[in-house]
Amino acid sequence: MSSLNRMNTRILPTSFNYYEPRTIDEALKLLSELSPEVRILAGGTDLIVKMKARQVEPKNIINIKRIEGLRYITEEKGKIKIGALATWRDLEKSWQISKKIPALFDAISVMGSVQVRSMATIAGNLCNASPAADSAPPLLVHGAIVKASSIRGTREIPLDKFFLSPGKTILMPDEIVVEIEIPVPPQRSSSAFLKLSRTAMDLAKASAAAYLEVEDGKVVDAKIALGAVAPRPVRSLSAEAELIGKPATEETFSLASRQVVKDISPIDDIRSTASYRKKVSPILVEDALKLAFSRIRGELG
Amino acid sequence: MLNIAERYSFIGKDIPRRDADSKVRGLLEFSTDISVPGMYYGRIVYSPHPFADIEEIDTREAESMGAVVITPKDVPSKPFNIRLVSVNEVTFKDWNILTFSPRYLGDPVAAVAAPSEELAQKAAESIKFKFRKVYDPILDAFESMGSQSAPIREKILKGEEEIPVRRNVGAELNYLEGDLEKGKREADVVIERAFKTNRRYHFQLEPKTSLCVPEHDGRFSIYTTTQTIHNTRILIGQVFGIPLSKISVKRIPIGGSFGSSIQTNLVTLISVALCMKAKKPVKISLTREEDMYDHADYEMHLKLRVGARRSGELTFGELVNIMDIGAHQVQAYPLLGTALGWFVSLYKWKNIKYEGKAVYTNKTPSCAFRGYGAPQISWAVESIMDELAEELGMDPLDLKLKNYVGLGDVFWGQGPTVRSVIRSDGVKELVEKGKQLIGWDRRKPPSMKQGRYRTGIGFGRSFHTSGAGGPISGEVIDYTGATLKLNEDGTLDYITALQDHGGGTLEAHAKIIAEELGVPPHLINIVPSDTSVTPYDVCTHASRGTYVGGEAAQIVKSKVFEAATRILPKAVNPEAFKLVYDETLEQAVVYVEGMKDMRITLSEIARTSWQRNWGTIAATVSYRATSAPPTFTVFFVEVEVDTYTGNVKPKRVVAGADLGTVINPKLAEGQLHGGFVMGWSMAYLEDTIYDRRTGELLNKGMVVDYKIPTSQDSPKLEDFKVIFANTYEPTGPYGAKGLGEAALNPVAGAVANAIYNAVGVRFYTLPITPERILEAISGGGKQ
Repeated sequence: MSSLNRMNTRILPTSFNYYEPRTIDEALKLLSELSPEVRILAGGTDLIVKMKARQVEPKNIINIKRIEGLRYITEEKGKIKIGALATWRDLEKSWQISKKIPALFDAISVMGSVQVRSMATIAGNLCNASPAADSAPPLLVHGAIVKASSIRGTREIPLDKFFLSPGKTILMPDEIVVEIEIPVPPQRSSSAFLKLSRTAMDLAKASAAAYLEVEDGKVVDAKIALGAVAPRPVRSLSAEAELIGKPATEETFSLASRQVVKDISPIDDIRSTASYRKKVSPILVEDALKLAFSRIRGELG
Repeated sequence: MLNIAERYSFIGKDIPRRDADSKVRGLLEFSTDISVPGMYYGRIVYSPHPFADIEEIDTREAESMGAVVITPKDVPSKPFNIRLVSVNEVTFKDWNILTFSPRYLGDPVAAVAAPSEELAQKAAESIKFKFRKVYDPILDAFESMGSQSAPIREKILKGEEEIPVRRNVGAELNYLEGDLEKGKREADVVIERAFKTNRRYHFQLEPKTSLCVPEHDGRFSIYTTTQTIHNTRILIGQVFGIPLSKISVKRIPIGGSFGSSIQTNLVTLISVALCMKAKKPVKISLTREEDMYDHADYEMHLKLRVGARRSGELTFGELVNIMDIGAHQVQAYPLLGTALGWFVSLYKWKNIKYEGKAVYTNKTPSCAFRGYGAPQISWAVESIMDELAEELGMDPLDLKLKNYVGLGDVFWGQGPTVRSVIRSDGVKELVEKGKQLIGWDRRKPPSMKQGRYRTGIGFGRSFHTSGAGGPISGEVIDYTGATLKLNEDGTLDYITALQDHGGGTLEAHAKIIAEELGVPPHLINIVPSDTSVTPYDVCTHASRGTYVGGEAAQIVKSKVFEAATRILPKAVNPEAFKLVYDETLEQAVVYVEGMKDMRITLSEIARTSWQRNWGTIAATVSYRATSAPPTFTVFFVEVEVDTYTGNVKPKRVVAGADLGTVINPKLAEGQLHGGFVMGWSMAYLEDTIYDRRTGELLNKGMVVDYKIPTSQDSPKLEDFKVIFANTYEPTGPYGAKGLGEAALNPVAGAVANAIYNAVGVRFYTLPITPERILEAISGGGKQ
């Protein structure tokens, strides 16, 4: 049957059991009982849309939004910690993010509308595992770690290892993301994120984040990540290799950015074409590198 | 000469819209907000195949759930056309309410109604089909006309006569004028180009809704999304065989339309059919996704050949217009004529050949979209005129001013049977002013541009008619009506069937009446009305609509003067009276010039007529405009192209309009802003793309993958200048002309010309996306 007959976006056209745990332990216990036929609801900006469009029809839904103590942004021991229920809007208003994780702040300001940012969570954006997720490239270049809990305990997953394929993460069915941790970057470093989309408030056709650490005019560390140009958000190790140890110049950035085509595998879809994505990926990376570098220089005066 | 605002009490002044406050606060009720006790919710079941024949529809499970179900067997089977605008003899009929022969994915094949939306949804999903035959969808107009293609339709009705459909061509119109061969011989330069437009979705704010309520006395009340309550009533009457006196269609505020509800929507007919079977009120609200499968713009494949002498004088114009109309005819035949009308009324080609075909495909049916083909034709013509100018070594502005159809010329925008002579024309004035404001003389050719970011300036010119009226009764029905009554305290009730799409049509009526009778607009009640209490009105379409209120007001005025002769001693001749709005009294005063004691307020006259049993002062008129004068528009657009990414930004806009007297300047400016954004979107963003294999929309109808510009994608307000020409249209009310569509028509042409001026590449397919631009300027354009 055509999807048109099954879709009814005015209502939720499916039946499901709904749970609203008040503690994380209660949530984990429920999750272990109900998995794998269960979905976690936080902001709902992805899940509810998919349910209305009948792309997913979960038997059980656990709404974690009522759990106390999961909505925070703190900094301790050189780490910025973001609770699973922190919304994009919370991050947008946080001086730690705008000052210390500039690429993420860039991404926030071009993700959705204020209304969507006020509902959606960053953790949810990662768990949705869209190749185009706006939070992924910035968090990848900042070396973020995802903390996942189950009744079996809590483990730390580097974001590099988190995404598998469109919609798929490495999380076990009974696991839930409880926190995202980002190391506070050193001085003389900065980052930037850029994306191309059809209009403002749109999903990315292609996006790129760059992280640079510069000492005495030399790149001492660099990370590059791209979105919407592979089955998952990807790092470009080829480009990074061309940056580290080189002088921080426009020429270096330009040469390195051309390497990214080796690490991407874009496709044609309704938003753009493979050939376009291939052409603009190096441009985005180069522009992001330049922007990050200009921020470093700005900071150094 | 006094300026407009000084000459008039209300016209030309900015007065807030009466519905603005309630719209902003969400208090205004649209059709979908209306509920009645005991109401059932309806859902439409669509064919899962875009091209198939159904053997059997199994509704048992749905019925066992307690739902009321209708299939093609439950509804009248005689084909009709959902748009009543042409006279019957040239109305092409291929529609049914529900069909066993679905011809696009989204063709309604059954419908259900149940006490809750959830139950209705479940019931709809339970319906099963057995197909006799499933065909591969035909999604291309040229493929459709090929000898290998299966017939999408074999027979349709033209009027009451059954006619065969050959090669999937639903309607044709050809035209010849002058001597084409002579025109070709005289041409020093000839250019031929093929253009393809996009198939845009209207994206009106309100998805279509219909609520049909059976009344206790056997009547039906209908609350639905429509631009025409009367045609909706007539069609319901014709299709179901219900006397018109038993149907009342209410005029409900409409959340925008852009032409998408110019016809009676199928959802309305389905709600009536369900209501008749269920004997309950039934409401169906389309979801956004269903709405996107319901209607789209006409996709046009235009082949243009034009010629000119070295002097820049045009010698001929040839247009082949192959329209992909989707699975049904809404107004394909009249559009073939109108497309020709836009073409011949843009420039003086002198010798003209036109070939138009409307071709069926297995896509969502096309219907009118703001501009009704003029945005498409204007894009192609304005592009080729720029190319011609370049070839001739002329400034495109000079070439266009030399050849455009203007003052004193015969003009037939709405097609061959709707002709009139142009009596007001502000094109030259607008071009002169616009040229200065945009800095046209500083414009450089693309060859002189370099670097990553390149700017370009483009110009586009077009027009639209004000209505589809004319001196003779042609193939198009166009008249309207209204009732105006003077209340017992001197205020007014204005009763009309005309709809306001959001452009402020009725607000303009109120202002014209206010000007005529000296009653401030806020004391004129625009009565919530329905078909039972209003004279016939064809539709709020073709940017028409400002005439009829003034006509009624003039009759009321003469009756007021008659009443004045009965009140004032010595008064004999009603003609001697004048009426003026007195700002200190804040009301109208009737007086005789130079006679101090011959003066009385309008409210006094109203009160006296009541107290002395003279009866109500009122007028009901039915009115046909004798001309459809053109509103001319010009756009100058500056864009910036990022040659590394293909992204284009609109930097500056000068929008010029000759709409005669400007009744409400702020609303008119708003129309031009909106027109630009819509035209920008047409040029740069929009298309409904089909999956070639399944015939589904690639975006499945989801707005996440149908993009229109946001305010962030639009030019800044300070970079958008609006200019109005200082003209007066003698056939218009207070010298006014319509604006809604003219505000859009030239935009895509101007944008395309600006992009060309920036990068030196011309695009013949819409939309001109960054992908297409980058492909064309090759290798990322790094230089």
